[in-house]
Amino acid sequence: MARIHIIKRGTGWAVKAEGAKRAKALFPNKDSALKSAQSLRKSGNDIVVHKADGTVQKWEKAKVK
Amino acid sequence: MSIQRTAEFETNVFINCPFDDEFKPLLRILLFVARKVGLQPRIASEKFNSADIRLNKILEIILESKYSIHDLSRNKSKKAKETFRMNMPFELGLDYGVFQFHDDVKYRNKTMLILEDEAYSLKSAISDISFADCKPHKNDAEQLVEEVRNWFVENGFTDIQGPSMIWDEFNEFNAELYNRKTKEGFKSNQVDRLSIPEYLEAINDWLINPL
Repeated sequence: MARIHIIKRGTGWAVKAEGAKRAKALFPNKDSALKSAQSLRKSGNDIVVHKADGTVQKWEKAKVK
Repeated sequence: MSIQRTAEFETNVFINCPFDDEFKPLLRILLFVARKVGLQPRIASEKFNSADIRLNKILEIILESKYSIHDLSRNKSKKAKETFRMNMPFELGLDYGVFQFHDDVKYRNKTMLILEDEAYSLKSAISDISFADCKPHKNDAEQLVEEVRNWFVENGFTDIQGPSMIWDEFNEFNAELYNRKTKEGFKSNQVDRLSIPEYLEAINDWLINPL
């Protein structure tokens, strides 16, 4: 299932599904973006939190039922 | 000049920048965006052979590259007694020399981008660089994507996505690189320290087979 990425966007952070053309939502900071991604995700989604340089900071694996 | 090499001239881009860990995130952007427009990045450290004289390698790359990106953002020392590194301005000068003085007229088509930290910050350090485009990146990876992407568009590479889409793809590429490499047994900090040839190979793999 598609990963959800937390990506720097200007001065804020975007929540974006892998391969989507647009971000789902924009947030002023990374923590609020992550909380939104955690609430949005379905059971099969990994969440990838990126650093400001685009590399991976943290990878939250999908919850397996 | 005795060295005459023309192979891949039209599709090579010479990347002249710092190679330390601090600059590595920005170097990765340069490699990624260059490959996105179909160019082959050429850098002094693309392969390591202790028998090579570094300056000869750089001259070879300059003669083989129509495009060049020179990052002169380190034009200020951050602390007292820090030595200002002159390699990048020196190599820009070599590139300009070939552009201006080489007998082969194809070098008049050389196209250069100069990157700086803040807008106009280079003017006080090198006022003689009005021949080339200068773009500021503020050491920000996302801004660098936009500046480099826009420079490529200005130079005819119009078949490329917008800056935000490239930036997002760069992030997704890094996630997939992390995924693939950790499955191969790499630790996360080892993924961050991949060599340039490995990183380029990963970009090429991604562009062929994203997921």
